[in-house]
Amino acid sequence: MASIIDIKEECALQVRDFEFTYKGAEAPSLKKITMPIAKNSITALIGPSGCGKTTLLRSFNRMHDLYPGNVYNGEIEFEGRNILSSKEDLIQLRTQIGMIFQKPTAFPMSIFDNVAYGLRLQGIKNKSELSDRVEKALKDAALWKEVSDRLKNDANGLSGGQQQRLCIARAIAVEPEVLLFDEPTSALDPISTQGIEKLVIELKERVSIIIVTHNMQQAARVSDYTGFMYLGELIELGNTENLFVTPKEKLTQEYITGKFG
Amino acid sequence: MTATQKRVIANRIVLTLSTLSAVIALGFLFWILGVLVMKGLSALNWNIFIFEGAPPGYAESGLRHALVGQAILIAMATAIGVPLGILAGTYLSEYGKNSKLAHTIRDISDIMMSAPSIVIGAFVYAVVVMPMGHFSAWAGAIALGIIMIPIILRTTDDMLQLVPGTLREAAFALGAPKYKVIMDVVYRGAKAGILTGILLGIARVGGETAPLLFTSFNDNFFTTNLNDAMPSLTVTMFNYAISPYEDWQQLGWAAAFILSMFILGLNILGRLVLLMSRSK
Amino acid sequence: MIDKIFFNMTRTSALLILFIVAWIFVVLFNHSTEAMHAFGLDFITQDEWAPNLEKFGAYAAIFGSVASTFLAMLLAVPVAIGVAIFLSEIAHDKIKGFFGVSVELLAAIPSVIYGMWGLFYFVPIIRDIFGGVGIGLLAAGIVLAIMILPFMAAVTRDAMNTTPDILKESAYALGGTQWDVIKDIIIPYAKAGIIGSLILALGRAIGETMAVTFVMGNVHHTPSSILDPTTSIPVTLANEFTEADSSLYFSSLFGLALTLLVMSFVVIAIAKFYFLRKVRNGQ
Repeated sequence: MASIIDIKEECALQVRDFEFTYKGAEAPSLKKITMPIAKNSITALIGPSGCGKTTLLRSFNRMHDLYPGNVYNGEIEFEGRNILSSKEDLIQLRTQIGMIFQKPTAFPMSIFDNVAYGLRLQGIKNKSELSDRVEKALKDAALWKEVSDRLKNDANGLSGGQQQRLCIARAIAVEPEVLLFDEPTSALDPISTQGIEKLVIELKERVSIIIVTHNMQQAARVSDYTGFMYLGELIELGNTENLFVTPKEKLTQEYITGKFG
Repeated sequence: MTATQKRVIANRIVLTLSTLSAVIALGFLFWILGVLVMKGLSALNWNIFIFEGAPPGYAESGLRHALVGQAILIAMATAIGVPLGILAGTYLSEYGKNSKLAHTIRDISDIMMSAPSIVIGAFVYAVVVMPMGHFSAWAGAIALGIIMIPIILRTTDDMLQLVPGTLREAAFALGAPKYKVIMDVVYRGAKAGILTGILLGIARVGGETAPLLFTSFNDNFFTTNLNDAMPSLTVTMFNYAISPYEDWQQLGWAAAFILSMFILGLNILGRLVLLMSRSK
Repeated sequence: MIDKIFFNMTRTSALLILFIVAWIFVVLFNHSTEAMHAFGLDFITQDEWAPNLEKFGAYAAIFGSVASTFLAMLLAVPVAIGVAIFLSEIAHDKIKGFFGVSVELLAAIPSVIYGMWGLFYFVPIIRDIFGGVGIGLLAAGIVLAIMILPFMAAVTRDAMNTTPDILKESAYALGGTQWDVIKDIIIPYAKAGIIGSLILALGRAIGETMAVTFVMGNVHHTPSSILDPTTSIPVTLANEFTEADSSLYFSSLFGLALTLLVMSFVVIAIAKFYFLRKVRNGQ
C-alpha cells in the first residue's frame, strides 16, 4: 500500500482513485492514484521511465484528449469540480492550468507575439494592456532584460534557455492557477537549467506547480513535495526532504539510492 | 459573446467546412471510380481478349491488339528504364554521395519526374521518328523509358542509402572489391525496395498516353513489328473515346477499366513487397 | 578492372540523365528556330493560329494553359487545404486509412480516364447549367482541379504533418481551439512546405495533357468567357502533332513544346529549390 502523507496547506488539486487507460490498451497506465497537490508549492513527480509520471501530468490539463480513444476514470478535483467530467470546458481549463514542455516550443512568430498569444486568445486586443502584460510576464520569467530591445524579432532566434523562459512567460501571462512542467530542463545546458530552476522556485508564490523530472537532484533542489511513481502507481508522496532522507517505502529507497532506474 | 465563444464558433465553422471539402473531394472521386467500374464491367467480355480492332459496328471487335501492344511497349520501356535507372541510382548512392555532381543529378531528375510527358513525346519524335521516317514501337518504348529513368533512379538511390554502412564495411573488411560489395551486399539488402521502385515505375508509365501519341502512334490491328506503329491501351482508349461510335466508346471504357486494374494491382503489389520485407 | 568498368557504367548512366535533359532542350530549341525566325516575339503574343496561311501565334495556347491551370488551382487549393486539415486534424485513424487508400486508388487511374469522365459525364452538366457547348476553359479547369486534388491534398497534409506535436500541444495548452492551432501554428510553421507542395501540383497541372484534351475544345482562340472552347499547349500538341504538314508547322509545334517545358521547369524548380529545399534544410 502506498504511503501518502496528508498535507497541511490548502489543496490546488485533489486526485482521487484516478485511472488512465490509453486507447486500445488493456490495462490502465495509471492505477488508482490518490494524491493531494498543495497550493503555492512545488510538487515533483519522479520515477523510472515508463512509470506514468508524464501521463499523470498530462491528465491535469486533459492533454490526452487531443488523441481520441483514451479513457479517464476516477476524479481530479479542481476549484470544487471534477475536471474529468465530460462537460468540462477544456479551453477554460487550459487557461487555468498551463503547461511547459520537455523542449522549448517557441511559436513561429515574434517574441512579443509569443507571449501575447494566450492573451489574444482570451480576446485582449487593447495594445497598451497587451504590452503591459507581456512586459510583466517577461519580467516575471527573468527574460525582460535580455529581450526588451528586440521584441519584434523571431522567437526562434533565442537560445534554448531563453526560449524555455519565453515559454514560461507565455504560460504565466494568462495568469493560471497551476503550472505543469514536463521535464522542462531536459533539453538545456546546466547554466540554463539553473536559471529555470531558480525561476520555478520564484513562481510558486503565485501559482501551484507540478514538475515531472528525470533528475532526482532537481526534484530535491526545487520541490516541497515529491511523489515517487512506479509502474503506473504512486508509491509514495512525502515532504521532499523526508522522502529523500527517510523514505517510508522500500521501492522508494531502492530507487533513490540508484538500485534501479 | 466572449472572445472564447467566438473562437469556438469559428472553430466549428472551419471544421465543418473542412469536413465538407473532404466529402466533396471523396464524392467526385467515387463518382469517377464508380463510372469507371460500372462502364468498364458492363463493357467487359471475352471478345475483348480474342479479337483485335474492327471498324465500328462489327460485333467481333476487341482489344487484343492493344493489350499485346501495351505489354510490348511496357516490357521494352522497362528494359530501357530499369537498368539505366538502377545503375544511375547506384552511382548516386555508392559513388557520388554528397558530391555536387550527385546533387545536381538528383535535382534534375526530380524535376524530370514532374515534367510534362508530352514534351518527352515531342523530343522522341524529333530524334527517333523523324530520322526513321515513321512511327514505331521503338520510339514509344524510348519515350516511356526516358520517363521511367528518374523514377527508378530516385527509389534506387533512396533504397541503397537505407542499407547500413556497417554492412558495407563488413564486406570490405573481407577484402571484397567495391563492385562485389555493391552487387552482393548492397543490392541484396535493398532488394525489396528496388523491386517496389520498379513496380511503381511500371505502374507510372503504364498509364501514360501523351508520350505515345506521336511516337508509337496507334494501330487498330494486331502487330508485333517493332519497326511499325504499335497500338497501346491508352492511345486506343483515347481514340475510341473521342470517336462518335458507341461501340468504340464501350471498348474505350473496357480498356480504361483493364488498365486501371493493372496499374492498381502493380501499386498494391509494390506496397506488399515493401511491407513483407519490413515485417521480416 | 571489373571494379573500374562497373564504376564507369554507373557513372555513365547517371550522367546520361543530365545529357538527356540537355539534349531535350537542344533538340526542341533547334527544331523551333524556324518558327522563331519566322515570327519572332509574335509567336507568343499573337493568337492567330492558321496552318493554311502558315501563320502560327501561340498566345491562345499559352493563355489557355495558364488560365486552365489558374482556374484549377483556384478551385483545388481551398478544397485541398480543407481536405488536408480534415486528414491531419479531424479524421479518426480509420477514416485516415480509408482516405489514404482512396488517394492511392486515384493515383492509379491514368489521367486519360479523368478526361473521358469529364467529356461524358461532366461536360453535359456544364452545358445544362450554363448553356453553350459545355466544352471549354471551365470544363478543363474543373477536370484538372479534380485530377490534381488527391496529389495536392496528400502533399499538403504531409507538409502540415511536419509541425512537431509538441508545438501544437503548447498552443492547445494555452487554450487554443483546433482552428487557432491550425492558423497560428501549423500554417505559419509549415508555410514553405505547403506553398511548395501547391506549386508542385501547379507544375504538374500545367503539363497535363490527357485530362484536358477531351474537354477543352482545341480552338485557337483566346476565350472571352470561361465557357468558351479554347486550347492549351499540351492540347494543341496532342491534337496537331500528327497532322502537321509543313516544316514551319512542325517548328511551331516544337516551339510550343519548348515553351511548355520551360514553363513547367521554372515552376517545378521554384517549388523544389526555393520552398521545399527550405523545408528540408529547416529540419
